[in-house]
Amino acid sequence: MPGPDLVKTGIAGLDEILSGGIPRGNVILLEGAIGCGKTTLGVEFIYRGASQFGEPGVIVLFEVSPDKIIRDARCFGWDLRELERTGRLRIVFTSREVLWQELQQADSMLLEDAARIGARRIFIDGVPRLAGGNSNGTPDARSAFHVFTEGLHRENLTAVLAIEASAYHPGQNGSLPEESIADTVIRLRMEESQRAVSRSVEIVKSRGHDYQMGRHTFRIIDGLGLQVYRRVQAPRPGRDRAAAYDPTTRISTGVPGLDALANGGYFIGSTTVVAGISGVGKSVMGLQYIAEGARRGERSLMLSLDEQVQQILRNAASIGLDLPREIERGLLRLEYEPPQEIEVDAHFYHIEKLVEEFEPKRVVIDSLSTYGSSLGTQGRVFRDFFHALVALMKEHQIAAVYNHENPEMLGMGSMMGDFQMSSLVDNIILMNWAELGDTFRLGMTIAKMRGNPVNRVTHEVEILDGQGMRVLPRVLPVPAEQQPFSSYAGLVSRAPERRRFTDHADERRSRDRSRR
Amino acid sequence: MPTSFDDQKQLELTKRLVARTPIIQNACDLDLMAFLHRHPRALLTTEQLAGFVGYNLKEVAKALDSFIEAGLLARTTQQSMHAARMFVLLLGGRQGEGVKALLELGSMRVGRQSILEALDAHGTRPDQPDASPELRLVKRG
Repeated sequence: MPGPDLVKTGIAGLDEILSGGIPRGNVILLEGAIGCGKTTLGVEFIYRGASQFGEPGVIVLFEVSPDKIIRDARCFGWDLRELERTGRLRIVFTSREVLWQELQQADSMLLEDAARIGARRIFIDGVPRLAGGNSNGTPDARSAFHVFTEGLHRENLTAVLAIEASAYHPGQNGSLPEESIADTVIRLRMEESQRAVSRSVEIVKSRGHDYQMGRHTFRIIDGLGLQVYRRVQAPRPGRDRAAAYDPTTRISTGVPGLDALANGGYFIGSTTVVAGISGVGKSVMGLQYIAEGARRGERSLMLSLDEQVQQILRNAASIGLDLPREIERGLLRLEYEPPQEIEVDAHFYHIEKLVEEFEPKRVVIDSLSTYGSSLGTQGRVFRDFFHALVALMKEHQIAAVYNHENPEMLGMGSMMGDFQMSSLVDNIILMNWAELGDTFRLGMTIAKMRGNPVNRVTHEVEILDGQGMRVLPRVLPVPAEQQPFSSYAGLVSRAPERRRFTDHADERRSRDRSRR
Repeated sequence: MPTSFDDQKQLELTKRLVARTPIIQNACDLDLMAFLHRHPRALLTTEQLAGFVGYNLKEVAKALDSFIEAGLLARTTQQSMHAARMFVLLLGGRQGEGVKALLELGSMRVGRQSILEALDAHGTRPDQPDASPELRLVKRG
């Protein structure tokens, strides 16, 4: 059975949410308060139709003069004048009274004018509200609106009717009478959060096809127009199925000594969290991981919310890593995004595009805790974002490493703090300081390694200038005043103490003796 | 009255421009043309047009007729069921270019004032019915 004849809006990201477009001939009610972007969306719908899909269109205006619409469109790179000149666009200025009357006439001059250029789309900016905007509309007003939409149906025009509506509020059940008559209702919002404002679009209803529900972020971008970012929580069909099952291929960690502890490295498509307080070397580990990838000719990507690219390059140079060379070779990309006011849908979209275009095998995200402080660890936003990120990486068979700043300096009350997402993580590496005598020494424990044997022994780690991080052998010839980590118990907990027994067998024997 | 050499020069330039665009005879013509230039395809009643530009219906109707006669404006015919008519501005050719230049000048307050002074100097303001017959002839031509 053939699918519905869908009209593509051509607006970046919107057709994906609409599952390809809007059924031809639908009357679309575009709601939103002042400044939401209704006019921009409507004009772009007409512009894309005329310029990309061979569908001439008509724009009907009441308050804004056409020359201002033409001027504003130019900021997005849309040449409406050229479309007018070539007979693909008509911009008509009228009054609401005239329009109301016109569309109820069988020989509407407006529709005749539209037919003259073969218009398939119409955008009416600022449709009058029914009966002065009361909640139900009088029966006469409702039927008048019905007649009004019939006029558009008669010409098989796909019509976007922008209506200024601030009547809806969260929790309020009332709906506008126009909503029940229209085939599609698209609602634009400006949402305030902590003094920041973001825009969102929601498909409230749309007859004749499937669409993705919920509020999706959108931006109005100079030189482009609207860009809609699918809600990060919205399922991506097929993404989970796309993750190939490969139980053998591993990826080297790039930290000398760590591969041996990690059974040869991380599985491809695995998710690793490196947790530890600031300064323990999480970023160093991440740098070595991506540099190792580049050394092996694998593309690697580092996304940082904490440090700008130049700072990352400087830090890498201090441990002997020449990252600019790898960037030049096209094997490495470093991306920085300031963590203030992250719009999670847009941010995820950028990561998605980076992954799809650059196709890295390794990704380092620095750090999860910064996402936590931007998005909040309570509620579902952070968790859903992380879930989507993990699914994206698995789909592309990327071994991803996420740095996570655990706030506890000595010891760890929990591995993931407030984040409650350890179930999504395959591997957890804990980095921690141990205070022995008057010295802080760095310890590393592989606390979790899904699908792998793991002994959870804490190993000492050192970071040397010009060389980077390495895991020290378990038993070392050390100076008399410094004992190896194997001489201590409780290093990652809050109370390290010297072991009284040389090994576990002795300890067990002693325990058995005392029981007897 | 112009007070400086520059003002005098500006007025001379404006006078020449006004002479090139005989279709604009008074403030109503100028303001109506400016409105139609901003709204080159308008579906309105003549009363609404008069309301938008702020002149009386008679003046606006007269100006519309003269624009149509000069080929600068197209208007759909009156039908009993439709109170409104579609007005489409057609600013092509030399005459159109002249009108555009005049509107460009008139888009600033000082420019508009200068045009009105130039029109006044030709005696074509509505309060001066004995406008130059020569100009009227040019207008019709």
